[in-house]
Amino acid sequence: MIWQLDLILCLFIIICAIAAINVKDLLGAVIILGAYSFFMCLLWTEMGAVDVAFTEASVGAGVGTVLFIAAVSKTKRRSKD
Amino acid sequence: MLDYVISKYNFWIYIILMMIGLYAMIGKKNLVKKLIGMNIFQSAIILFYVSIGVKAGATVPILSGHGHGHEAIEVANYINPLPHVLMLTAIVVSIATTGIALASLILIYRKYNTLEEDEILKIRKETGA
Amino acid sequence: MKVIALIAVIMTGALLIYGVEDMPKWSDPNSPASSHVSPQYIQEATEKTATPNIVTAVLADYRSYDTMGETVVVFTAAIGCILMLRKKRNGEGG
Repeated sequence: MIWQLDLILCLFIIICAIAAINVKDLLGAVIILGAYSFFMCLLWTEMGAVDVAFTEASVGAGVGTVLFIAAVSKTKRRSKD
Repeated sequence: MLDYVISKYNFWIYIILMMIGLYAMIGKKNLVKKLIGMNIFQSAIILFYVSIGVKAGATVPILSGHGHGHEAIEVANYINPLPHVLMLTAIVVSIATTGIALASLILIYRKYNTLEEDEILKIRKETGA
Repeated sequence: MKVIALIAVIMTGALLIYGVEDMPKWSDPNSPASSHVSPQYIQEATEKTATPNIVTAVLADYRSYDTMGETVVVFTAAIGCILMLRKKRNGEGG
């Protein structure tokens, strides 16, 4: 546990979260959500939770992003807010 | 006061993340945005649980050299593994709920041809369904 | 709507900040979560299950029924997605 690395990763995570809910293009928002998941995975590795980290990297960032992109490609890409 | 704020800085960050997710779930009108907010909220809660198990100066909970003699295992050297186990289950279940939600989202789009909450409510009021 | 959402979110955040006061200091080895049940698992898991990774030992040995239930949840979700998104044939109701 290194608190400088922890703080920088937390800042990136908050930036990604705010960007993901404010981008009007839904495909871009979903990609930013994938980046958020990967930063979350780095934070968990830094906390020592390696099993949670690689589950998140494969399931959360991989399968989750694929499901979201499939849903967005079957519906509309633009969003009003 | 400043010491108190700095010594618990991780909790403030998790609370900010939960507030961002909750705001996206309540305030945004697009249904995909609501789902993104739900994902952010879930991973903030999982982050909070994992952070409970952190110990200063400890290593990952994987023992080396097992089975050779009965040397004493120092508990303070290993991170608490129980939150990790429970949160592994939570991640997989969260992906299952996201899949179901996206499937019903596609059904809603097929029926109403839009994903905005206010437009769906307007169509429902006009058709009386 | 946005204002109501903002008020609700800020009230929830204030409640959570009020709750943080009772939490132990971060990364404290003697916090209640780290000193109550988990030492027993850390000391006994490798000896009882012959698995060096304690997380895997708890997930697949101590809580294997829990993991089996988890796979049931994933299976139900997959079946639900397939039933929702299948193409409807002509003459079939619903």
